[in-house]
Formats: sequence, C-alpha cells, structure tokens
Amino acid sequence: MTEYVKYVDVTKCDGCRACMVACKNWNDLPAEQTEFLGSVQSHKKTTADTWNVLQYIEHDNAKGNLEYLFRHSSCFHCTDAACEKVCPEHAISYTKYGTVVVDQDKCVGCGYCVNNCPFEIIALKEYKDKNGKEYRKAHKCTMCTDRLDEGLQPACVTTCHTGAMEFGNKTDMLKKAEQRVNEIKSRFPNANIYNPQGVGGTHTVYVLAERPSVYGLPENPKVPTSAVLWKDYAQPIGKMMLGATTMAVVGAYISNKIFNKEGKGHDEDGGGSHE
Amino acid sequence: MQHTDCALIMGANPAENHPISFRWLTKARENGGKIVSVDPRFTRTSSQADVYAPLRSGTDIAFLGGMINYTLQNNLFHKEYVAAYTNASFIVKGGYDFNDGLFSGYNAEKRAYDKTKWALETTPDGKPVKDPTLQNPRCVFQLMKKHYSRYDIDSVIAVTGTPKEDYLNVCKTFCGTGEVGKSGTIMYAMGTTQHTVGTQNVRSYVILQLLLGNIGIPGGGINAMRGESNVQGSTDFALLYDNLPGYLAAPKTLVPEHATLEGYLKIETPKTGYWSNKPKFVVSLLKAWYGKSATKDNEFGYQFLPKASGNYSHINLFKAMYDGKMDGAFLFGTNPVVGGPNAGKEKEALSKLKWLVAIDLWETETASFWQKEAGNNPSDIQTEVFLLPASASYEKEGSISNSSRWMQYRWKAINSRGEARPDLEVIHELALRLKNLYANSANPADKPFLALDWNFGSGDEVDIDLVAKEINGYDISKGKLMKTFGDLKDDGTTSSGNWIYSGFYPGEGMNLSKRRDSKDTGGENYLNWSFAWPANRRIIYNRASADPSGKPWSEKKAVIHWDALQNKWVGNDVPDFKAVTAPTAPGGTGAFMMNKDGVALLFAPTLNDGPFPEHYEPFESPVPNPFSSQQLNPAAVVIEGDFNKKGDKSQFPIVATNYRVSEHWQSGSMTRNQEWLSELVGHMFVEISEELAAEKGIKNKDQIIVSSARGEVKAYAMVTKRFKPFTIQGKKIHQIGMPWHFGYKGFVTGDTANRLTPHIGDANSFIPEYKAFLCNVRRAD
Amino acid sequence: MSNQKKPVVEVRRFSKAFVLAHAVNAISFLALYITALPMYTDFFNWLYPVLGGPAQARLLHRIFACIFVTPTIIYLIFDAKGFFYWMKELITWKKRDLQFFSEFVKDLFGLKFKHVKQTFFNAGEKVNSILQIICAILIICSGITMWFSQYFPRAVVQWGYFFHNVGFALAIAVVVGHIYLSVIHKNSRPGYSGVVTGKVPAWWAKDHYTEWYEDEVKKGNFPKIPDPKHTKHKGA
Repeated sequence: MTEYVKYVDVTKCDGCRACMVACKNWNDLPAEQTEFLGSVQSHKKTTADTWNVLQYIEHDNAKGNLEYLFRHSSCFHCTDAACEKVCPEHAISYTKYGTVVVDQDKCVGCGYCVNNCPFEIIALKEYKDKNGKEYRKAHKCTMCTDRLDEGLQPACVTTCHTGAMEFGNKTDMLKKAEQRVNEIKSRFPNANIYNPQGVGGTHTVYVLAERPSVYGLPENPKVPTSAVLWKDYAQPIGKMMLGATTMAVVGAYISNKIFNKEGKGHDEDGGGSHE
Repeated sequence: MQHTDCALIMGANPAENHPISFRWLTKARENGGKIVSVDPRFTRTSSQADVYAPLRSGTDIAFLGGMINYTLQNNLFHKEYVAAYTNASFIVKGGYDFNDGLFSGYNAEKRAYDKTKWALETTPDGKPVKDPTLQNPRCVFQLMKKHYSRYDIDSVIAVTGTPKEDYLNVCKTFCGTGEVGKSGTIMYAMGTTQHTVGTQNVRSYVILQLLLGNIGIPGGGINAMRGESNVQGSTDFALLYDNLPGYLAAPKTLVPEHATLEGYLKIETPKTGYWSNKPKFVVSLLKAWYGKSATKDNEFGYQFLPKASGNYSHINLFKAMYDGKMDGAFLFGTNPVVGGPNAGKEKEALSKLKWLVAIDLWETETASFWQKEAGNNPSDIQTEVFLLPASASYEKEGSISNSSRWMQYRWKAINSRGEARPDLEVIHELALRLKNLYANSANPADKPFLALDWNFGSGDEVDIDLVAKEINGYDISKGKLMKTFGDLKDDGTTSSGNWIYSGFYPGEGMNLSKRRDSKDTGGENYLNWSFAWPANRRIIYNRASADPSGKPWSEKKAVIHWDALQNKWVGNDVPDFKAVTAPTAPGGTGAFMMNKDGVALLFAPTLNDGPFPEHYEPFESPVPNPFSSQQLNPAAVVIEGDFNKKGDKSQFPIVATNYRVSEHWQSGSMTRNQEWLSELVGHMFVEISEELAAEKGIKNKDQIIVSSARGEVKAYAMVTKRFKPFTIQGKKIHQIGMPWHFGYKGFVTGDTANRLTPHIGDANSFIPEYKAFLCNVRRAD
Repeated sequence: MSNQKKPVVEVRRFSKAFVLAHAVNAISFLALYITALPMYTDFFNWLYPVLGGPAQARLLHRIFACIFVTPTIIYLIFDAKGFFYWMKELITWKKRDLQFFSEFVKDLFGLKFKHVKQTFFNAGEKVNSILQIICAILIICSGITMWFSQYFPRAVVQWGYFFHNVGFALAIAVVVGHIYLSVIHKNSRPGYSGVVTGKVPAWWAKDHYTEWYEDEVKKGNFPKIPDPKHTKHKGA
C-alpha cells in the first residue's frame, strides 16, 4: 500500500481559513464560542470541534523585518503515534493510508491521548446522552479518511485555493518539499521540512518558513519516554507481576494442601509451630 | 493576472478579501512575477508580497504622483505607446492653468470648476492639434511632466510617511514594467475609491499604466477588485444613481438640454469614437422599456423617464431622509445602519420615514433599526417597517458579471425556505400591481406605469429567460434576437435593455452566458466559457497590445495582430477594434475606440476636480497639505452641520481606516448569521501599533473606546507589529484600523465602525470617504 | 474459628481506628481496582456496562480515590499512638527480620518452619506495609496529576500515567499475597479476625509475635498462656 501524506507549504498560504470552514462542513462540526485572543487567530489550538486551526504569527526575522506567518495546524498523523500507543482501549488505530483515526465506539474518554500527544492536537468533547448523563470522546482530524475511501482528497486540501496544500504519495510529496525549500531559501533562510523522525515521520509534512519553534512546534517531538516506559514496560511487567503473584499464591495453596494434609494441622490450638 | 510581471496592489487586500484573485497571483509568482503591496497596514497580502511599503491613508495621489514623476524623470515610459495611444501629444488650450492646488476655472462659492477652461486645441474641422514629438510646452505630456515634477521623492514621502528605501523599491519594481515585453497590473479596491479623491486615485493608476504601456496587454490593466460577485453586473445595469443601463447618462432637469430626447442625444453624444453610436443605444433601451408605447412621435417614450432634480447618491439620499424629505424606501439587500457612513445618523434618518421595506435574507440591523437592541424605544418610532424574506443566490437562477466582465449564468441549487422569494419575483409582482393600481388613471404622472412594457410572464410567474432576451434585445421588425450591438438602430426598429450585453443571446436557445467550455482557446482567454461584454472580448483595449503598425509589441504578450493577407485583425481574443480596419486606415491606431479621437486620456478634462490628479488631504487630516494651500479637494461637496460633524486634529490626532476580513462579508448580515464564519472572527477589534498602545497604556486584548466627531465604538485592542507610526513632515502620526462588519444582530455582535466615519464623498462619484478619518483612542475602563 | 472446640482466649491486637482505616483502605482499593480494570486490560471491558459506562466508571474511580486517601487520616485522628507505633515498627529492622523471610517461604508453601521471634509486626507485614505505603503515595500523587492534568506541566502528567501504572501494578501484586495470607493461608489465617474485630487468638498472637506478646504480658495487658503443646509437626 502506498503511503500518503498531506503536504503543507505554509509559504503559499494566505491565511484565508477556508480549510477551517471546509473541515467543519465536511465533518459536520459545530461552531464554538470563541474568545478574543489578541490576534486574528480564532482558536488557541485545535479542539474536539475544530480539527484544524490557522495560526497567525508576527515574527521579526533575523534581518529585523516583520514576517507575518501562517500555518494550517492539524493532526500530524504520526507514523509512531503517541495517542495510539497510550490508548487503553485500542480505540486509536492506523489506517491503510497511514492516517491515525479514533474509533468513537471504543473511545472511553479517558484523555490519555490528550495528555500524551506531542503536538497537543487531540482533544476531548463532552456529550450528554438522552438521560442527561455526561460522557466524553476524543476527537481530532481524520485526514478525511472517509473521503480517501471514496477516492477524494481531504476537504481542506480540496478547498485550498493557493495550492498551499496537496495530498499525494509520500515520496512525491517529500521530493516536492525538498524542491520548495530550495526555492525559498533565499527569502526564508531558515526554511525547513518538518517531518519529525522522533515520531517516525508524520503524514502531514510541512514546508516551514522559519524554525519549528517560531510556530510553537517542538523542534524534536517524540513519543514521551514515560509513555514508552509505561506501555512497553510497566504495563506488561505489571501484568506479569500480577500473574506471578497469583501463581505464587495458587502454588502456595496447592502445596499447602499437599504437604499439610487435612486434619493434621487442625488441632485445637490451630496452626503455628516451631521445632 | 497570471501573466503579469508585477502586480501593484494598493488600496486592496486580495489575500484576505479577494482570495481567489490571489490564486492567479500565486501563479504569476511561480513564473517570476513580483507582488508589490502598498497599504497603511502590513496585511496578509503584504506578507505574500516581494515588496511592501506603508503609506498613510489618503495619500495615494502623492504616492502615485511620485511614481509618475519617477517614470518620467528616469525615462521608463513606453514612448511609442504613449505617443500613439494617449493624448500625450495633444495641445491644451491657453485657458488651462494650475496654481497652488487649483486648476483654472474654479468657483470657490460653488466649489466647482468651469471645465471648458481645460479644453484641448482643435483644428477648424474639430480634429485635435498634436505635437508627436511631445516637445511643445503646451502639450499634455509636457504639462503632465511639469505637474508631477513637484512630486519628487522627498516631498512625497514627507506626506505619505513611507520609508524612502521602501518607496524607491516600489518605484524600481513596478516602473520597470514600462519595458517592452513586460506587463504590470494594478489591483485596487475600496481602499482606493473611498476617498474624497477616490476617482482621481484611480486616474493616477490610469496615467501610470498608460505611461508604462500596460493597458490592453495580458498581465496588464487596472483591476478593480469587486466587493461582491456581481458588483460589475449591477454597475452595468445602472446601480449608480446617475446612470441608465450600459453607462448611459440619466437625464437631469439640471441640464436644460435634457428636456428633450433630441437635446439629450445631442449633448451626450461625442462626435468621434464608438460613443458616437449612443443614440442607437438610448433609443433601443427606450424601445425595450416602453415597447409599442415608444414611438418616434413621442420621443420613444423619453418623457416617461424621470428627470433627476438633484444628486441622488447615498449620502444625499440619507441627507434628504434625515431632513424628512422622503416618505418611504425599499432596501434590497442593503444594510446602511452598519454599512453606511456616519451610521448613527443613517439610523436616525430611517426613523424619519413613514414606511420602510427591507428585503433581505435575515432581519438586518437596518430592518430592526426601531428595536430596543438598536438603542431605540420602539414606541417612539413611527416608521412602518416591512421585512420581506429574500431568496439567497443559490435559491434562484440568473447571471452574475465578474470584474473581467464575464456574464456567467447560474442555476438554482435548492428551493427557498418559507416565504422567501427571489428579488425578480418581488419586483415583478410589484410592477404588475402598480400597473394595475394606475390602470384607469388619467394623471399624466402615472403614465410611465401604463406605458411600461412588462411582458415577463403572467401572474406571479416570472420567466427570467424573457428578461434575458430583453436585455439582449430584438430586431423588432424581424422579431429576431439581436446578434450584436453593432446592429442596433436609432429608428425604433431595434430594442436592447442594455446595449453592452447585446449579443449574449444571439438566437433562440443560445444564451451564451450558459456556456461552460473550459478549453483554452489561446492566451488563457477561454472564449467559449460564458460571455464577456462587449462582444465576448476578454482583454479590453487589446488593440494596444500591438504597435501602431499592427505588430504585437512582443510575442510573449501578444493578443491580436493585423493579418495583411486576410485583411483583418486576428489573434487569441476578439479584437476590441473594428476587425477590418487596417492600421494604416483612418482611425487605424485608435486603440481606445470608445474615446473621442480613439486615444486614452492622460489629460482628462471631463472630471469634476481637475484634468490631472492632485494631492489633497482627506476631509479630516492630521497635517496641512504641503503640496498647496488647498487642504481638501476643492471640488468635494461638504455637508455642513449636524449631519456631518468634523473632527479636529487637536482632539482627534489619530488617522483611522476600516476594512474587511476574509471571514465576514460587507455589513456582516450574511456572515454573522453563519456560525462557522462567526466563530472565526467573533469580536469587534481595533488594530493599533505597539507604539500607540504604549503611549495610551493599552495592552493587547484590552477593551478600548475609539472616538471620532461622530461617535464612539467599543472594541478589543489588537496590538500588532503590523501597524507602525508614520513620520509625516517630521512628526509622528499614528494610524489605526478596524473591520466594519459588526452590528447588533446575528450570532456575533459588536459595535459598528461606521458610527465613526464622515458623511463626505468623492467629488465625482460621491462614494463616501470611509477610508481616512480622524479619531482618538482610550482604554474602556 | 468455628472449628475451635473450646472458647479461645482472645487479645486485642488492633485498635478500632485501625480496623476502620484498614477496612476503608481495603474496600476503596478493591473498588478502585475494579473501576479501573477495564482500562487496564481489554479482557475486562465487559465491566463498563456493569459500572454504568466509562464516564460513570471514571466518576466512581474518583469517588473511591477520595476515599482511598482517608485511612491515614482516620488512623491518625483516632489512634495517633497506634499510627506512630506502626511507623516506628516500619523503620526498625533487626537481624531477626531478615531471618524471617527464609522461614516465611517455607511456611508459605506448607513446609516445616520455625517462628522467628517477632515484635508487633513481623518482617513480612512490615514489607507489606512499606510497599503499600510507597504504592499508595505513587498512586495518589500520580492520580492527582492525571485528574487535574490542566494544572500540571504535561511532562508531569505523562510521568503520572507511568507511575500510576507502576504503583498500581506493584500494589496489586502485594495485595494478592496479603489477602492470601490473611484469608486463605492456614498459618496466618487466624490473624484475619484482627482486622475485623481487632482481636486475635492469644495463642496465635504469642506464636507469631512472641516478643510483642511477652511485652504486653509484662505490662499486664495480656494473660500469660502456655506455649503451644505441639512442639513437632508439619506446618499447621
């Protein structure tokens, strides 16, 4: 199966936010009450109802000139996804396209993924069922996996009018990204491809005009060490320990039965003994 | 636009407000094209530009005058083009003079010019007197050179506040397109036009583009970025108060000659140029409107037309309303309580009406001006308000015309909900009822209703196809649809509801605006996609893409050329020229055939405020005008008193402007009722520089009050690096900006920016000066 | 004790406060375990509907989490002396404590063993206590970071998950052993009544905690009883 990635060239983005509306439209997401953030940015970050957010950054570059930078921010669809790793219910999984999706039926709303996502993308939404009981589910960009199944491109890509976003096979997109970085190096000396290897590479690959940190992105994101220790060591060992102790007591019980025949130890004064 | 070598974007922010146009600019950039952004604020467009230069709002003519001067002083203009296709070589009569900001013929009392003082020299047979060498000191070229020699770089930047390096960079980048084989385009919007010198701002573009030979070629031109999808169409169809459809003048009682059709035609028809055919267009229009009631004997019903007794522009209408001179109003999809200048006063004016019919998709601020939310006590308002629900564009069919003059038909996608109806149905029913109401009237004033030829279907059913056909027009004697406006006649045998569109429906079942052939017919002109008026031409004035001998200036930017073998003009577009007129024939170099003498006007003796654009300060300005002692455009009409209070710089030292954001549209009545857009920009804000914020003790996200002589608005402060204080004549001048989309209805609400703007308009078009006024800011707490 | 033929002399081993604290601790621990079990392993996903759905399981888990922190407080308030005695025991380690373990393993599997003289708590119990205290601290602290994640740096929360997991895994292993010894294992089973009524058979107490028993006898709190008759038998 060919791996697909969403290629985002932020230097071609003009910040129109059609991607945000297209996403809500396709995924039928409700609007949120937004507070004024002191810039044109509408949401601080992605939420359970807003799967992509356009960032607006006023940045004084190395030459002291003002750069007004935009970035379409949404799920990276990591190859090695922390959310998938920590999900206790296996509700998060990889699709054949390499996208990472949440199975809403399996999700129990524990929020482990929320606190372990290195990009702080996935978020919980509170619901009320018909009895008024509250429950939660984790949501994030699906890369429109339902559209991909139908041979369509993600809604945000389709709507992008400047061609800042493209969806295609990984090799082609990475090649394109390299070319683009070379093209814009003279204007943006810090231009780089953001496809962090700490999470095994991502299925949203960026051409950034500036260092990742300028966009508030981790320079070197990875699956949290705690999550690796937890899921790859602590939990299996814990399960083993539980098994081992249980085995030990079961063994003890049985050996007691064998070595300490019924009746013998049941004197009126009970158990204890010494030689 | 994708063919341009340089796009100068001024008074517009297409990346935010016309994003689709930006798609073509992105293409141009991929081919090495440059983008120059000139704006008081560093916008999203600026972020995509190769060159950015700030200027203080209201100083465009100074900025452009400097560019014209730079072009002339550095010999960057396209000499052959200028000499052949413009009136540069024409000799101006001795009556013309310019002194201290005033052209000759000024009447201070009337604030008006006697334009006859600016006449051009003619030979006894009416031909212009020319000096092809452009050396005669009285020729347009020399007068222009002299006029703009005052706009040297240092004088310009002392007014505009542009850093010198940035200014020079703009000049170098854009004026370089004067080179043969290169093209530059100018994109503008309301930032250019909404000034007391709005028309002259655009005139400055014209002069610059003509000097650089950038009109009529691919990647050239002056592109008005339209505020909505059908502005072009509505202008073509006489949205403007002094027009009839097809840019024919509306008759006025103020012009004595307009009393008769004969007089009207005589005074309105130039002797040369294509407009000499005007009587054909006017008579055909009258035939379309009055049908059989239009006969040669009754001046083809000319007397049925109302004759304007005053100026009916927006400001004046509301002034009349405010003064209690109007009984009622129909407002179709318009929301002056948010969108009008000095909006607080416009709201007040509405309450002087006896009745108001608002036809809109939602209950707008205007439709609800009488409510408590509007700050009114409903029992105090005597106006009877009717709200008619309208169908949205997807709920009806019809055509829209874009700024490339493409008339594109659209079909209905969904049915309207509830009682909403298309505007056409509302008008149709209204027309039928009025005709019925006056059916037995003998009153001569009611005659126009009876004479009106209204045959678009019976009952409530209206057939839009019949409307389309009437616009195209008929050869009445043959009962056939017109094939081209070239066949229109002034004897009453043809009709056309709008001559410029005539030919879009050349035969039964042939509505060309419905065409959707996306095959490139050459030069990316897509001639079989929809219909472009006039005559399906895509690049207007394309005769100018070839030199006087008929050879393209450059192969790269070729459009049409003279084919001597076929004896006609050929190329990848419909020639905007008589296709069989050889370059050597009389008028064979008249590339601007609509104009008298076939040339473009560097010197325009027709405008109200002078033949050359001259810098004047806005109505409210923080500095004196250093170019002359005329502070304000001498021809701008000033309404004194309560209706239009003026702020002084001592009290209101900060320059303010307003603009739109991508997410909201116009007065916000459509977008603030749409949740997904409302959440993106949910709050009224004011952008201020870090420097001004520090001076006023304002922190980002603070609530602040912006005040002007007209009112106050409360908003969030958006402290940004994208506004910087200007240094004007050695003084620090601050500028702020804010969106004008907010009102008290919809999902998101906020104070209306237009409560701050003044009731003063441009000297020619009377468009209000929204884009430069004075204010002050303070913290709200 | 139903199989005892004659009334057994009982002595008070634990205060009522301890009994209460222990009970609260045990019940809440078990409840926490059950409410979290479906999260820990898919095998127990059927528990979600039993618990009324994930949201309710989460709520219950938090309610029991609050209860889980109370035993220390209960013990401290009502029997501060006992609490500090316990603490003192936990930090007092002598050679005999180490000897205990080799004998304990024999005991556990029903082999011949001898009682190493122990004080109030034997070394095994001390280890149990220490491990449970460490686990409880781990679980409670990490639980707080998980519950109120918005108030903690993300790294702290992320490590919280890890420590919650580790603490809980360790605790459950210890608890399994603890329960076995108290409820099932023959030799220590008589002590079970200690955490229910606070009292244990005197003979058993003397056997298991000889030093403590003798101390109490000296103080005149406990009756002097003879050494158990059976001096030679396998286990008990």
